[in-house]
Amino acid sequence: MRKTEKIVALLIPVLSILIAFIIGGIIIACLGKSPIAAYQKLFDGAFGTSTKFAQTLEIACPLIFTGLCAAFAYKCGVFNLGGEGQFIIGAVTSIAACLLLGLKGPGGVFVSLVLGMLAGAVWGAIPGIMKVTRGLNEMITSIMLNYVATLFMGYVYTNLLREGSTPQTPAIDESLKLADLPGTKTHWGFLLAVLLAVFLTYVIYRTSFGFQIRAVGMNPTAARFNGFRVKKLILLSFIISGAIAGLGGSIELQGKQFRLMNGFGQGFGFDGVAIALIAQLNPIGAALVAFLFGVLRKGSSSMQTSMKIPSSVASIIQALIIIFAVGGSALIRQPGFQKMLNRHHDRSTEGKGAQA
Amino acid sequence: MKELLRMVNISKQFGDFYANKNVYLTVYEGEVHTLLGENGAGKSTLMNVLIGLYQPTEGEIYLRGKKVRLDSPKTAVKYGIGMVHQHFMLVEAMTVFENIILGVTHDSSFFINRDKLKKEIQELADRYDLEIELDKPVTEISVGEQQRVEILKALYRGADLLILDEPTAVLTDIEVKGLFQIIRKLIAENKSIIFISHKMREVLEISTEITVLRAGQVVKTLKREETTGQDLANLMIGREFSPNVYKKVKAEGETVLEFSHISYHKESKHAGLNDLTFTVHRGEIVGIAGVDGNGQSQLAQAATGVIKPDEGTLVLEEKQVAVFDPLAFIMEDVSHVPEDRNKMGLIGNMSIEENLVLKSTRDPRFSDGKGALLKTKAIHDYAETMRVKHDIRCTSVEQLTKNLSGGNQQKVILTRELENAPKLLVAVHPTRGLDIGATDYVHQSMIEARDRGCGILMISADFDEILKVSDRIIVLFEGKIMGIYPGENPPIEEISFAMAGK
Amino acid sequence: MSAFLDSNFIQQLLLSTVRMATPILFVALAELYSERAGLVNIGLDGLMTFGAFMGFLVGYHTNNPWLGMLTGAAAGVAMNMIYAFFTVSMCAEQIVYGMAINILAPALATFFNRISFSDTSISIEGVRMSPVAIPGLSKIPFIGEILFDHPPMVYAVYALLIFTAVFFNKTKPGLNYKAVGEFPRAAETLGIRVIRTKYIASVICGALAGVGGAYLTICSTNTFSEGIVAGRGFIALSAVIFGRWSSGGVMLACLLFGFCDALQIRLQIVSPSTPYQLLQMIPYVATLLALLFFGIRRSGPKANGQPYFREER
Repeated sequence: MRKTEKIVALLIPVLSILIAFIIGGIIIACLGKSPIAAYQKLFDGAFGTSTKFAQTLEIACPLIFTGLCAAFAYKCGVFNLGGEGQFIIGAVTSIAACLLLGLKGPGGVFVSLVLGMLAGAVWGAIPGIMKVTRGLNEMITSIMLNYVATLFMGYVYTNLLREGSTPQTPAIDESLKLADLPGTKTHWGFLLAVLLAVFLTYVIYRTSFGFQIRAVGMNPTAARFNGFRVKKLILLSFIISGAIAGLGGSIELQGKQFRLMNGFGQGFGFDGVAIALIAQLNPIGAALVAFLFGVLRKGSSSMQTSMKIPSSVASIIQALIIIFAVGGSALIRQPGFQKMLNRHHDRSTEGKGAQA
Repeated sequence: MKELLRMVNISKQFGDFYANKNVYLTVYEGEVHTLLGENGAGKSTLMNVLIGLYQPTEGEIYLRGKKVRLDSPKTAVKYGIGMVHQHFMLVEAMTVFENIILGVTHDSSFFINRDKLKKEIQELADRYDLEIELDKPVTEISVGEQQRVEILKALYRGADLLILDEPTAVLTDIEVKGLFQIIRKLIAENKSIIFISHKMREVLEISTEITVLRAGQVVKTLKREETTGQDLANLMIGREFSPNVYKKVKAEGETVLEFSHISYHKESKHAGLNDLTFTVHRGEIVGIAGVDGNGQSQLAQAATGVIKPDEGTLVLEEKQVAVFDPLAFIMEDVSHVPEDRNKMGLIGNMSIEENLVLKSTRDPRFSDGKGALLKTKAIHDYAETMRVKHDIRCTSVEQLTKNLSGGNQQKVILTRELENAPKLLVAVHPTRGLDIGATDYVHQSMIEARDRGCGILMISADFDEILKVSDRIIVLFEGKIMGIYPGENPPIEEISFAMAGK
Repeated sequence: MSAFLDSNFIQQLLLSTVRMATPILFVALAELYSERAGLVNIGLDGLMTFGAFMGFLVGYHTNNPWLGMLTGAAAGVAMNMIYAFFTVSMCAEQIVYGMAINILAPALATFFNRISFSDTSISIEGVRMSPVAIPGLSKIPFIGEILFDHPPMVYAVYALLIFTAVFFNKTKPGLNYKAVGEFPRAAETLGIRVIRTKYIASVICGALAGVGGAYLTICSTNTFSEGIVAGRGFIALSAVIFGRWSSGGVMLACLLFGFCDALQIRLQIVSPSTPYQLLQMIPYVATLLALLFFGIRRSGPKANGQPYFREER
């Protein structure tokens, strides 16, 4: 029974992606262009050359972080919609550290990343504390903090740490930039992201801590009655997911952008939520979906330049994937569908659902 | 007597499973017709068909001789069928008046004409001696009053046939008498009642006719005068019903739990604990008797560390408890079979394996390095062993517990709670909703645990269960202890009065 | 500092408050209708954005602000039907679906924006709904201008507010509607059409949220930009919580946020040396603080947020 469920669970995101691409193709056709040609351009733009591929990975990198952030939080039943703010605060803290503390070299990189992570953790802890002490809705609080963080970042690069007349901060020191992985043009932050996904998978499914997080996410009352420290676990999930996003922000700063300016980190937060939901909260799945989103982002700009197809088609495809993926998960949980699955397997036992 | 309802050859299938099969039921005007059967016999399904929530797979329904199709609750109401559910369908945020007029269509005005409607309802209430206060919010009325509101709701919608589903489960003896008075008034006015119950004493007192259901089918329909309690019990079970008789013990062992002047008042004004003092010893079963809603939940939760008392001290095995926290109690070998197995006891979306080791994920048997790496194979093997040992019916130990039957869910919980030989077991309504087989299993497990030296605090609203299993009986009423009685030859009448507050 | 005590400043501030509260009030009412039927819809931002753009587009082409408003409503409804289908009929998790709408709706709006107005570097100006002074009342000194000289949509929202209060407290359909959000199972047994009510709630929610969005591009300003909604959907969500699910409370909460919105704009003008981003933070910080002081643990309609599994028929 579990096996069938696992297969179905895997099928849903895959089917959703396919359907979304088909609909995207229809939209492209309505614009008078050839979908095949358009998708060819898209994939070429993302994978065509090793440089392009490297760039795709670098674009996917921050999405992996925000995706993991949202996935980990939601595993504990917590809706951390503040990934964007936590990401940005991490970057802001890192740039402040890089520019103001005179950091240099690998030691400096380490310090700056850790600070970014801690800043994200704190920013994530705020809605967490509000939730566990006062029961306040964490979606609203975390989103408010997103706006505060973005505005604060704006203040930083137009005012506090401004570089002359351009509204942006100075670039970080050369020695603080993340080096590329050997033989590639992708900075090592990407590898860190992938390793983090693997590590989180291990933690969530193979440790007692992860077990407790999952239990709290599924049934906090029963978790409490069975001795789990529910409030502590919830707060920790906010802190950890915030830290992940914060780290992502620092890595984006030091690996790719090197300075803060208008549009830094924009959209990564909500995309992360979408990624987590499509991947059904599986960390490795999230990394894969983030990669797909990276492909879409990178490829769509080539599609736009060479075929004049608005890059927002890619956003629509992304949005459709999530609509179908989430709808698909709901569909299989419908009693009607469940019965279909049951009939497939039910032979010898009494473990039935429908009772008089 | 004129025929009111006739259900002919009704069957209801869910997939391959027959919840009702070939059921024939006839109800006459002015009678109380009891549907008797144990949990899972198909009574609720049959009634859901009658009120239009389910469509029968087979069969017809006739009302006053005319064939009808009850395709929705609205239609059933139109035909004069009303139901008082076991779990009341009252909106807490509204007043009694608002609950009564909810969804009513015979007054099709847009605005609520309060004065006119209140007058109508009050007249109806007076006619049947139903004491209610229309402007009170539902949260402030007693359980008995809530039931009267439900009855009035049905009458206001013109019900001639009233279905009462386990109406006495939540009432004290006195309130039951009040209810029976109302029932007699109703049948005197030519209304009919379908009375659903599995409590023999009450069935024998109030019924005109009795239909016994077993495994979805009608076993027999008889008139009250033609039968006895023993007959009915046999018909319900399907074999010579000889109840298990358990030997009672007088425990002289160490005290494992001691409540000393414990009080707790944090929630609604009906529940709460008032200066409770009692002890539980090793190797005995203490049964807390009383109608649900008198502080039982709070007592159980205080005894397991879920809530913290406002006053008094709790002593666990000679040590006074300072920290009220479920984990601390679990560490002291206190086990808990909670009152709501799905909400409090099991993580429904986790498998049987995972639920069995819920409290033990840091145990070296199941993980390395205190939880750093779970030993999935060890966990699986353990679950398999338990499945066989306790005969847990499932497709595999990987099955999600939410898909198990109630009895098997309770088995999972019991296995988890008893396998580690606890010193104290707190079991709350442990056999609620379970059929005879599962109930027996639960009692057996508790007796065995007791004989191994475990102290058991059992809270139950099922008086028969209390009598059957307890070594000592404590009656709880409005959060106070009314009396402590021996389990051997208990003074039943005295205890009944105590449960009603005398 | 003296600028604050200037009566003209205060009058302008209050006038602005009423106007800026209006879109939030529309959306808060949208959410109120939705939650009273048990559906928590966090896709308000997305619905607003889509309504804002579609309303702007039609207003631009027809030069008729009313058609624009209507389109905004229709767009909101269309988008919200996706939410409704999946949460009511398929029992998907409402929060998750709300997020899905928050991602899809702006993406669609952006897409249509790009293909409709290919050059987005210049700000396209659409039609604008002008204020209509209520004869007589608007001449009352001081408050006359504050309360009675607004685009008609402002009057509409307050009329709607009054209607909502009456509907839920004094009418039969209103009572039945509330039951759906409190105890759908009980409502069903009493013959109330739960599924139908939920769909109706979603239509109302979509329409009002769409109108709230269109207000931003037809009444507040007459341009569309991608970030125009700026989180107002979530602010409206919190307004419903502070307002304790009552029309009066929601109105006060929205006025408070409208005030913050109006204040930060005025302050930017009055105090140009203060970094404008810090001033723009005011509404969001105010929401946080308001939640902290007035927010309460889970309350509201009892069955709010829970999927309703229809018993099989």
